[in-house]
Amino acid sequence: MVVGAGPAGSSAAKHAAEGGASVLLVDRKKEFGVPVRCGEGVGSHWLKELGISISDRSVCARIKGAKLVSPDLKSSVTISTPETMGYVLDRKVFDRELAIDAARAGAETALKTEVVGVTKNNGKVTGAILEYDGKKTEVKSKILIAADGGESLVARMAGINTLATLYDSDFGVEYEMANVECEGLIEIYFGKSWAPRGYAWVFPKGEDVANVGVGIGGMEKPNAIHYLNKFLELDRFKKAQPVALKAGIIPVGAPCRQLVADGLMVVGTSAHQVDPIHGGGICLAIDAGNIAGKVAAKCVGEGKSDAKALSEYEKTWRSAREKKLLRRLLLRKVLEELNDDDYNAAIGCLNDADVGKLLDGNYAPVAGKVLTARPQLLRALKALLTSSETGRTL
Amino acid sequence: MIEIDRTKCAYCGACVGVCPAMALRLRDIYVEVYNDKCTSCGACVRACPMNAIELKK
Ligand SMILES: Cc1cc2nc3c(=O)[nH]c(=O)nc-3n(C[C@H](O)[C@H](O)[C@H](O)COP(=O)(O)OP(=O)(O)OC[C@H]3O[C@@H](n4cnc5c(N)ncnc54)[C@H](O)[C@@H]3O)c2cc1C
Repeated sequence: MVVGAGPAGSSAAKHAAEGGASVLLVDRKKEFGVPVRCGEGVGSHWLKELGISISDRSVCARIKGAKLVSPDLKSSVTISTPETMGYVLDRKVFDRELAIDAARAGAETALKTEVVGVTKNNGKVTGAILEYDGKKTEVKSKILIAADGGESLVARMAGINTLATLYDSDFGVEYEMANVECEGLIEIYFGKSWAPRGYAWVFPKGEDVANVGVGIGGMEKPNAIHYLNKFLELDRFKKAQPVALKAGIIPVGAPCRQLVADGLMVVGTSAHQVDPIHGGGICLAIDAGNIAGKVAAKCVGEGKSDAKALSEYEKTWRSAREKKLLRRLLLRKVLEELNDDDYNAAIGCLNDADVGKLLDGNYAPVAGKVLTARPQLLRALKALLTSSETGRTL
Repeated sequence: MIEIDRTKCAYCGACVGVCPAMALRLRDIYVEVYNDKCTSCGACVRACPMNAIELKK
């Protein structure tokens, strides 16, 4: 049984069904994919690395790069690397298509069905209590896959700690707006006054429509909506009118320490499998779902569902993805320490190739330039250069 | 104890994700609060992107 028909759950359901398991995919929503809680951007680099393809129908806009804007709004740098190119999706269409794929592969789907409890026997997860149509029913499962996103209660009901701490989470809110002039670039605004420990964004959705939002660190006050309202006071949004409101939690710390237990797997944002730099979790959710679904099918076929058998998912996922995510987490921690003057100086002096290098973990060649512009950044650079997780250059 | 202002709430579930006591549950178009479990830690108040939650005595 798979709980949650988001990118993680639908992908897991599809691969488990393709592998021969009988699959039930449940979601509390009355329409898979709705409401959307997402900025809907996906980067080409993750799509390519994870081998994910997306249909034309679910693409709202092609993105040719990212424009990073300094806190004082005086300088910006536009970068067009695989990291910053990509698409802005229509998640309503995208999520629905993934669920359709799962159903075509043979999964049964259930709408308006909420998991309200987990059943266990001798410590092993044996099923879930589903609430549907006002009634509660216990349904048995060989393997329960928790893909319930940022709320992540299902794994917690089963005893795996997936609680998101304020420190390791971002909280985001955005409007989809009309009358926003865009240039086919995503725009990222840094700075304490726009979005402390996070960023404000404009993600174009085609023509003059865009997702305009902010994500702030969980320890920050006041709440995210305050910063969004302030961001919208910019002249740039004078004519902008909201057509949808989307909000949510983004766990941006390290992935959860435990991804499987007897009879249980945790995938996607519920397992904190999120890119710590930009908070993107769509591609990583699909990737983890693919791996988990395949392993689940194999285990069911072999009549196994103990943690040891299921840990093939955890091992495969961690060895393929975790190192890169932890390296990006380190970069995030360093970026979080920067103040507005640091950002103003850095964005003022870096060009597109420099930022590409930074994102690749290739810090050394950029150091001289940054330090000439702002010697105070020495501490931040040292932290990056001396860490054991700095990646390929050292 | 907490109180959620439904006129502000966006039903996003951020509060559910950070509640260490599992005292919140996202339903279709509202958040259910189990105040008997709430420890008044305030994590949800801070987390709520919409500023819709208040601690109550
Ligand atoms: C404001 C904001 C902006 C974002 N912007 C981006 C972005 O631009 N790009 C990007 O890649 N990512 C972005 N993200 C992150 C992205 O939305 C998530 O990482 C992604 O949706 C994770 O997919 P998932 O399948 O793990 O979970 P989800 O998509 O959250 O799906 C979980 C599903 O589980 C269901 N569910 C939960 N609990 C239960 C239950 N008890 N019973 C039944 N069903 C249940 C929910 O209804 C939901 O459908 C953003 C997030 C936020 C909040």
